[in-house]
Amino acid sequence: MSGLTPFISAMSAVIWKDLRAEWRSREVISAMLVFALLVILIFNFALDLQPNVRAGISSGVLWVTLAFAGTLGLNRSMAVEKDRGCLDGLLLAPVDRAAIYLGKAFANLLFMLLVALIVLPVYGILYNTNLLIPGLLVVILLGSEGYVAVGTLLSSMAVQARTRDILLPILLFPVAVPVVVSAVKATGGYLAGLGWEEIQPWFTLLVVYDVIFTSVAFMVFDSVVEE
Amino acid sequence: MEQPANTLSYFIAGYGVIFGVMIVYLAILIIRWRNLKQDEALLNELDQKEGGSKE
Amino acid sequence: MLQKPKLLTVLDVAAIASFLAATGLVFFYAPLERVMGAVQKVFYFHVASGWVGMLSFAVAAVVGVIYLIRKDLKWDSVGVAAVEIGIAFTLINVITGAIWARPIWNTWWTWDPRLTTATIMELVYFAYLMLRSGIEEPERRARFGAVYAIIGFLSVPLTFFSIRLFRTIHPVVIGSNDPGAMGAFDMTPRMTQVFLFSLVAFTIVYFDLLWHRIRLGKLAERVESLRLKLQA
Repeated sequence: MSGLTPFISAMSAVIWKDLRAEWRSREVISAMLVFALLVILIFNFALDLQPNVRAGISSGVLWVTLAFAGTLGLNRSMAVEKDRGCLDGLLLAPVDRAAIYLGKAFANLLFMLLVALIVLPVYGILYNTNLLIPGLLVVILLGSEGYVAVGTLLSSMAVQARTRDILLPILLFPVAVPVVVSAVKATGGYLAGLGWEEIQPWFTLLVVYDVIFTSVAFMVFDSVVEE
Repeated sequence: MEQPANTLSYFIAGYGVIFGVMIVYLAILIIRWRNLKQDEALLNELDQKEGGSKE
Repeated sequence: MLQKPKLLTVLDVAAIASFLAATGLVFFYAPLERVMGAVQKVFYFHVASGWVGMLSFAVAAVVGVIYLIRKDLKWDSVGVAAVEIGIAFTLINVITGAIWARPIWNTWWTWDPRLTTATIMELVYFAYLMLRSGIEEPERRARFGAVYAIIGFLSVPLTFFSIRLFRTIHPVVIGSNDPGAMGAFDMTPRMTQVFLFSLVAFTIVYFDLLWHRIRLGKLAERVESLRLKLQA
């Protein structure tokens, strides 16, 4: 397949560019992390968050935190591209636009997973429970993937509009309901120690959402960044 | 046989909303149409004048 | 200046006639439901509005796909028209849903999957309008609108399933445990006739409105290009 290698190298180039740029400044990750930890603290005072006692609420708080931090990351990641003219530079390159999309989405996913990987143990320490359950981690992965797949597409549009910062949550949240609800319920299931038969339907929804929206975003991304 | 519940006021509220929203939307469309027609007439007039003065 | 097509006038008459007929049927022909009473009659136009809302959003999504392929802006004006009308009818659907719920379940909102999905759908389409209002260039606005209409419409069934699954796992104290039944009642043949007629009437009204709204969009475009021409 002659087309595949340049595609993959373009995609990795985008990912590495984002990771290296972020490593130098660390502005996106630190903003996401600080925000996430603040949200958890605030929720702690507002609600009773013992994970084993209030599995449903804890998982809800966890995903609200991830969703909001994720939005921050998506916004910043795209805004930086646009403002520094990187987006235009990328688009001039003789590269399949879809590779740019996958690269951006993957980098955004890594940021979101990094935040989750720090927030989960912090949460566990604050409430003296282990949250690093394998099934739960898979849910975090699937949920973040779906969220980021749609989020990357929508943030590419939002960043080109006048009302850019406020627009991404407005566009993303209604459309992300299935993935957030499924992720919350599946996470809650693991925290409450439910069996696989009860968690499985949520997994199915997550996978279906991820597959559908990643493919659709992949197909239409071209239309969103052409000049 | 017992009588059905007296929910007439809800029935009225429901149809009030249905007709209300439809009428409001129609009104909005009609107002927009009128305004645009006025704009079009005005702009056409100005256009004629432009065309006239350019010659 | 464009003449109003004859077919549109015919459609106007058909829409008005069928709507009046449907209203008459609901008010006078449909029987009184034996438990719920008069409020059950709201059901006919409630479902018809919901149907039109869904239909309109489907139209917007399809037209979005066509636009992305053909790049002809006339498809974009159909899309905007469809979303606007869809917003109006979905609004009717949601509010009448609450009005119907109140006397039956003694609460305005039962988190019924269909109504909740409709509300979320409404939010998606408001977002569509907000996205468009933030973009100046017509071509980019059309592209973005098309993409979001497609994404938005695809999310609707998934949203519905996730909420319904949520409801089967969490039976609510108020309202029916059957996530399918909003306010269940047995439909007599008369009710079915009125129901089907309402659906047909609303569909005719929808296409009539859609055509008018598209013409409005075309007029707006003409005015805009006149304005630009005069500014040059």
